[in-house]
Amino acid sequence: MDELEAIKVTFFQECEELLADLEGGLLAMQEGIGDIETVNAVFRAVHSIKGGAGAFGLEPLVRFAHVFETLLDAVRSNEVPNTVELAAVMLRASDVLADHVSAARGLGDVDMAASAAMAAELKTWTDPSAAPAPAAPVAEAVETVAATVAAAAPTPAPAATSDDLDDDDLGFDFQPMTITVDEQAADAELIPSHIWTVSIRPKSDLYRKANETALLLRELSRLGPIVATMDESALPPLEFLDVEAAYVTWSVRVETDHGEEAIREVFEFVDGDCDLEIVRGEAPVEAALANLLNAIDPPAAAPAPPPAEMPPVAEVAPAPVEAPTEAAPPVQAAPAAAAVAAAPAAAPVKATQVDVPGPGQSVIRVDPERIDRLIDLVGELVINQAMLAQRVGEYGIAPSSNLAMGLDELEQLTREIQDSVMAIRAQPVKSVFQRMPRLVREVANMTGKQARLVMDGENTEVDKTVIERLSDPITHMLRNAIDHGLESPEERKAAGKNPEGVVRLAALHRSGRIVIEVQDDGKGINRERVLSIAVKKGLISPDLQLTDEEIDNLIFLPGFSTADKISDVSGRGVGMDVVKRSVQALGGRISIASRPGLGSTFTLSLPLTLAVLDGMVVDVAGETLVVPLAAIVESLRPKPEEVRPLGPVGSVLAVRDSFVPLIDVGLTLGYRTTSPSPTEGVVLLVEGEDGSRAALVADAIHGQRQVVIKSLEQNYQQVEGVAAATILGDGRVALILDVDAVINLRRRESPRPVEPTLIAAE
Amino acid sequence: MFDPTTVASTERRELISFRVGDQEYCVNIMAVREIRGWSPATALPQTPGYMRGVINLRGAVLPIMDLAARLGMPMVEPNVRSVFIVVQAGDRTVGLLVDAVSDILSINDDMVQPTPDVACDTVRSFVRGIISIEDRMISEISLDRILPEREALAA
Repeated sequence: MDELEAIKVTFFQECEELLADLEGGLLAMQEGIGDIETVNAVFRAVHSIKGGAGAFGLEPLVRFAHVFETLLDAVRSNEVPNTVELAAVMLRASDVLADHVSAARGLGDVDMAASAAMAAELKTWTDPSAAPAPAAPVAEAVETVAATVAAAAPTPAPAATSDDLDDDDLGFDFQPMTITVDEQAADAELIPSHIWTVSIRPKSDLYRKANETALLLRELSRLGPIVATMDESALPPLEFLDVEAAYVTWSVRVETDHGEEAIREVFEFVDGDCDLEIVRGEAPVEAALANLLNAIDPPAAAPAPPPAEMPPVAEVAPAPVEAPTEAAPPVQAAPAAAAVAAAPAAAPVKATQVDVPGPGQSVIRVDPERIDRLIDLVGELVINQAMLAQRVGEYGIAPSSNLAMGLDELEQLTREIQDSVMAIRAQPVKSVFQRMPRLVREVANMTGKQARLVMDGENTEVDKTVIERLSDPITHMLRNAIDHGLESPEERKAAGKNPEGVVRLAALHRSGRIVIEVQDDGKGINRERVLSIAVKKGLISPDLQLTDEEIDNLIFLPGFSTADKISDVSGRGVGMDVVKRSVQALGGRISIASRPGLGSTFTLSLPLTLAVLDGMVVDVAGETLVVPLAAIVESLRPKPEEVRPLGPVGSVLAVRDSFVPLIDVGLTLGYRTTSPSPTEGVVLLVEGEDGSRAALVADAIHGQRQVVIKSLEQNYQQVEGVAAATILGDGRVALILDVDAVINLRRRESPRPVEPTLIAAE
Repeated sequence: MFDPTTVASTERRELISFRVGDQEYCVNIMAVREIRGWSPATALPQTPGYMRGVINLRGAVLPIMDLAARLGMPMVEPNVRSVFIVVQAGDRTVGLLVDAVSDILSINDDMVQPTPDVACDTVRSFVRGIISIEDRMISEISLDRILPEREALAA
């Protein structure tokens, strides 16, 4: 991978995070709990995506992001009111943006027509002529008052307001000020057109993103000779210095023939991370000082003209300067200019708020292969430790001896290391959950339902091997919950429910497993219909008496579908049977609880990791095998009268009035050619994926143990009847039985001939 | 990855030779990871007879192939002096069970003669060439061929 590709990969990783932030922020706005910071965060997310995409020349992405950004900028500067309706539109826009990102990544396509339509819709919000509507919701909400306000303040000055919103919270405030000095206004023509004053006040984010004012100044100097003045008056004493904070501000005199645009371009990369003011002309030091003082302690006499009355900034050569926190207000020092300076009326210095929204905890990106290697090594350590313990036991060393005690400590340490290492791979289910709101929106749109997704326990942690495989079953269950579970808004109203259905997705830990719940408040499972469909499709016999629970479980049967018509969402031939199979492949179980008229709950119970497995260690023909505990229903020692022959060779086991086929594992796997009587051994009653039961005959049970799963395919290949391998305490390899394959192997009419040479080489 | 079987013909190569029954074979030293004494393997069901089973190699599950059986010769019960050579073949690591390791050879490729046209198919496909040194006949094993094809099992 060349360097650019590597950077691109990082960019797309960041895009994932930014898109998640964007969606999170928009959802908050839709809930009506988004404040100015949320709007800013949303803006920054789109802006960063656009910036990165621009660097890689991803044209369509940049174009769409630009339109989106323009609207967000307008929201940020209060030109477009921040309403719930707008948030809903922007949520859809974020979906389109996500599509653009995926397309740029080479995953999937963008519906360009839909993208163009979305862009057009976004534009109507910023273009008042096209859409007078945006202001309306506010007016409606606040009724009469709003109407007057809207009339009185047509368009707030964008520059001033947006800077207001951008205020960093580090203890001092910056207010761009426009000075309306008559003489200056008169002399406006005389101001040399090539002299500019640029005021830069960096925020901490600027430094966090590894930008540097020095670099910005260097860039500025490319436009022409510059004179930079640093204002370090805000610097606190060393002991109070926050190394991450930004204290120093700059005032730069630039002599250039380039226009304002060229200057602004220099700051393109740090937009939002620093306050910037570019004005034509020179800022006299006195005026600057005056402004400083004014900003802190505006004289009561100084009129505060509303922003709308400000003259156009570029025309009058004002002096925007940073206001230091240090208050030194000798009012008499302020020259006359200060008296008429437009000190914005509302300039509260937000000095108290310290929780700067930053990147949060520090995170290390690590190649997953390194972690896998570490996990392998710890697995070896665990095995080695067990091996040592076993050897020591064999030598009959007293448990009170130093050696045995040291070994105990080693065991404890090993276990702790194993837990910690497994915790490295543990990730919150958030990464899967955060894709779901979009899915719910899309499915609701497609089916004409109104659905709200409530998520719970997003921070529940699971091993990454499990996380990667959670997405499909959850997606499927949510789709089902909306498409089949929820009623249409009209039906809901008729039933006296809120027309908007609620779908709840929750994750929690329960006794060493992760439980995922998908709950809807819809109509519940229509058992009569389920039953009639199952009978009609020949899945069950018509005269079967089933409990409610058994009927509910019929929807897991392959080929079952309750949808009346084939919709866009379901009816693609993928049913709940697929969900069940994928869950079982993960060593999990799925169950349903449904109450007519009140809704259904699907519950998934999954192991926390696929790296270890709970198994029953058994002996079969001198070989040690591990049977996954999840498949075992019970183990028993059969009595002679419970074993009944059936046909020439087969036999069944009577278990509480039902008959289960007996399978000798040793025979099936080819470890032996004749089967001992089942009554001499033990029987494990197991349940296969499809619910079929079998009684596996083994010679002896050693007990239950957690085993580290090792791949056979890595160095060899898949072996029928074997799911994987593990390493036992004595260092030997034991095979983990694939229960389903063993059942199927036996079912086959002509089993594969077993190589006669296969022997346990001892 | 560096493929040890494709080395420029003029370069000198080092090979490790070993005995299988009364015959001598060798593999490129670059493919050899280690040589270990025999330890009992866990038998794998549903596998060809030359697969001795799997052993634990520092946490990895290593399949052991009986080279004699793979070449179609009678299998000899391993004893304490038997060894297996851990070789890297493609992305797989496999142990080859042999009777004893005999030598390290340094050869030029022009010392390698093409495999004579013998009747046995397995020999023709598994032997890359034959090296004659000091009246010994040493056959070079073609590692990429000797492993069984990974077959996709019907799910």
